[in-house]
Amino acid sequence: MLLFALRRAGLACAIIFCAIALLFGMIYLVPGDPASVALGPLATPEIKAAFRVRMGLDRPVIMQFLIFLGHVFTGDLGIDLFSNRRVTEIVFEAMPYTVALTACGIGWAIGLGIPLGCWSAIRRNTWLDRITGVLAVAAIAVPSFVVALYALLLFAVELNWFPAIGAGTRGDLGDQLAHLVLPSFAIGLGWVGYLARLVRASMLEVLGENHIRTARAYGLPERRIVFRYALRLAVLPTVALLGVGIGHLLSGAVFAEIVFARPGAGKLVFDAVVTRNFPVVSGAVLVTTALFTLCTLAADLLIAWLDPRVRADL
Amino acid sequence: MHRLHLTRRDFIGGSTGLWVAAALAPRAAQAQGTSVLRVRSYSDIQDFDPAFSKAAPDGDVARCVFRQLITYKSSASWEWRLDAAEKIDQVDPKTVAFTLKPGIKWTNGFGEMTAEDVKFSFERVADPAVKSPYKGDWATLDHVEVTGPLSGVIHLKEPFAPLWLSTLPWTAGTILCKKAMEASGNRFTTSPPAMCGAYLLKEWRPKQETVLVRNPDYNGPRPAYDEIRIHPIEDEKTAEIGFGAKELDFTGTSVSSLPKLMKDPPAGSKVEVHPSLAYVWLGMNVDVPPFNDIRLRKAVQKAVDVEAILQAAYFGAADRATGIIAPGLLGHRDIKAPPRDLAGAKKLMAEAGKSGGGVKATLAILNKTERLTAAQVIQANFAEFGIEVQIDAHDSGTFWSLGDQSKGDQWKQLHMILQRYTMAPDPSWAVAWFLPSQIGIWNWERWNSTEFDQLNTKALVETDTKKRGEMYVRMQDLMEESGAYVFLTHEVAGVMYRDTVAPALMPDGRVILPGFAPKA
Repeated sequence: MLLFALRRAGLACAIIFCAIALLFGMIYLVPGDPASVALGPLATPEIKAAFRVRMGLDRPVIMQFLIFLGHVFTGDLGIDLFSNRRVTEIVFEAMPYTVALTACGIGWAIGLGIPLGCWSAIRRNTWLDRITGVLAVAAIAVPSFVVALYALLLFAVELNWFPAIGAGTRGDLGDQLAHLVLPSFAIGLGWVGYLARLVRASMLEVLGENHIRTARAYGLPERRIVFRYALRLAVLPTVALLGVGIGHLLSGAVFAEIVFARPGAGKLVFDAVVTRNFPVVSGAVLVTTALFTLCTLAADLLIAWLDPRVRADL
Repeated sequence: MHRLHLTRRDFIGGSTGLWVAAALAPRAAQAQGTSVLRVRSYSDIQDFDPAFSKAAPDGDVARCVFRQLITYKSSASWEWRLDAAEKIDQVDPKTVAFTLKPGIKWTNGFGEMTAEDVKFSFERVADPAVKSPYKGDWATLDHVEVTGPLSGVIHLKEPFAPLWLSTLPWTAGTILCKKAMEASGNRFTTSPPAMCGAYLLKEWRPKQETVLVRNPDYNGPRPAYDEIRIHPIEDEKTAEIGFGAKELDFTGTSVSSLPKLMKDPPAGSKVEVHPSLAYVWLGMNVDVPPFNDIRLRKAVQKAVDVEAILQAAYFGAADRATGIIAPGLLGHRDIKAPPRDLAGAKKLMAEAGKSGGGVKATLAILNKTERLTAAQVIQANFAEFGIEVQIDAHDSGTFWSLGDQSKGDQWKQLHMILQRYTMAPDPSWAVAWFLPSQIGIWNWERWNSTEFDQLNTKALVETDTKKRGEMYVRMQDLMEESGAYVFLTHEVAGVMYRDTVAPALMPDGRVILPGFAPKA
């Protein structure tokens, strides 16, 4: 198990390095001048040149990349070209909002998707199963921004149940949670559908296994059979999918952050790319990539822990 | 005694109810305890050091936490009123004498505002070593003479006409505390070392909100709100939804929503349209084919259906421009724009030997919805008289360096540009980008007019308003005669606010936050 964890951790480091190198190359291939964007039209060419020297933008790209990597090892992600604030500070200010949003999106998916899938499997081929199937496919098919807009119009503007914009008042957990409901629902709804379909299929497969038939023959209660023996196995593919899903939700968070005017890493990266704010792009992508690889690593380890067969293969 | 019969369902339901009540309680308490104004700004604050201010939201906050000798009135026309100055007089075209109001206190124990602070602030912006982008606002400043603790004289090398309209009441006229700045390394971005305005910066949560609270030591009229919360919301539609959800008291609106909002404003709110200072035009690069031929440029001027652009891209809410200086400003060209003349355009094309068509041109735009729509109308217009237009939409990072000659030869690929600039309310701001010295910097049309340049120099020092206005009109005539420009619109600025709020706005709809008050 330890060897497995170490091997996966090494792979995660390689993924992070490749992602950063790729991104660094890509943002420099796109034309654009951060000095023009940062200083505005009033800046003279001399002021712009001084800015480029101060920010190290006059150096070769490879040098900038190596300097960035060198700083990363000391925990320094550089300085924001616009506000002169430390990128580490900016990224770690934004990150909790995205993590909370993603976690709540996953929460919707787990909280609704797994029970729905389970329920469909138990009541296979009934009208409830069919309705659940239609709803699940609809949830997958409807784009998240459509969900976001209708959720906003219905629950925020018309009914006034939930707040529409921002991330809530600092120190007021209730307010912050209320601000999370609609954006997390918008990004999580599609995953409710995915999980419902996946869990249903897995459950149907597991419920047909010999050990389940044996359990029924021994007269164990159906509830125990479903939740203790069947669901535990059926949920394994879900855990693997969620590991990848977190990555999708992290990147999908950007639209929710724009539509709901929330702070977050997605919007931070988006704004930084548009303005060619290279240190912020590199810093934020480094942290989100690290987070994503950590999540997939955690998912792999969780699967190994849940399924003795996987452990045995290590 | 009754036995408490609590099922698991009762327990979960009850605790959920309590949790929700507890979650909502702090918000209710806050709403009752303090008067809060919630406004939207189109971007977050980045740097409100007046020497390096980045965008309008920086200026909006600076206007709350600092003071100026004079500041803009909330009015339909561009007028100023005294702010930190008790008295200010133009002694002669090159001399302005001022006296500060006594008792303006800096925070953090930096004492009273003095004329030394004024001298420090103005000379700092003008100092070439500081490298302020706003240096030009003090282009003719010689020095500020301190004649007493609260009095001083601004000495100019040359008369400077924009002084009263776009220097003293604008960013470069903001007064900082000399002692505090010197103690903090002569630079700040979002944490000013000392403040003195009607409100104080209490908290800045990046990308979330800026919280301003009433300054207890402010010696001007008492600000009406205890607290102002500024929410940076870039997307106008999101802001409109936030307003609809009653989470904002004031917001700008999108142009596309204006017709509907004007007709049917949300309950309990008002919608206003203000003339914008922006100017939008179609520019042609005169240094490269095909538009190095003036006949082709003139043909384009005649062929563009400006009214169709305004209908399609601005939903009929914006009026047609006749120049780059908006109505209501000195130097506005008060003429009737000619209608589309397709026959005239075709005739000019024939004269240029292009009647058979086959002319190809690129049109560079910023990737915004209304620009793309306008570009598509232009593309359709041009197809009618034989120019095939390829629309190149760019994000802001790329777009703003397209015409920058220092970036290489990409300017040679620029044929047409759909461009939008905005300005301070002095006409000198509008014309500054079209000077010969700006070729390859911001003059992307690369139009080179000595007469334009000379007029600009004269207009900057001309103190006779009528003569100065005529000079700017002539400068726009020259622009049109060059064929390199098709003036499209000045756009409009829509604002929406609760009917319980009396907003204080500049003529173009920009906020003067200290002047906002609850409606009596």
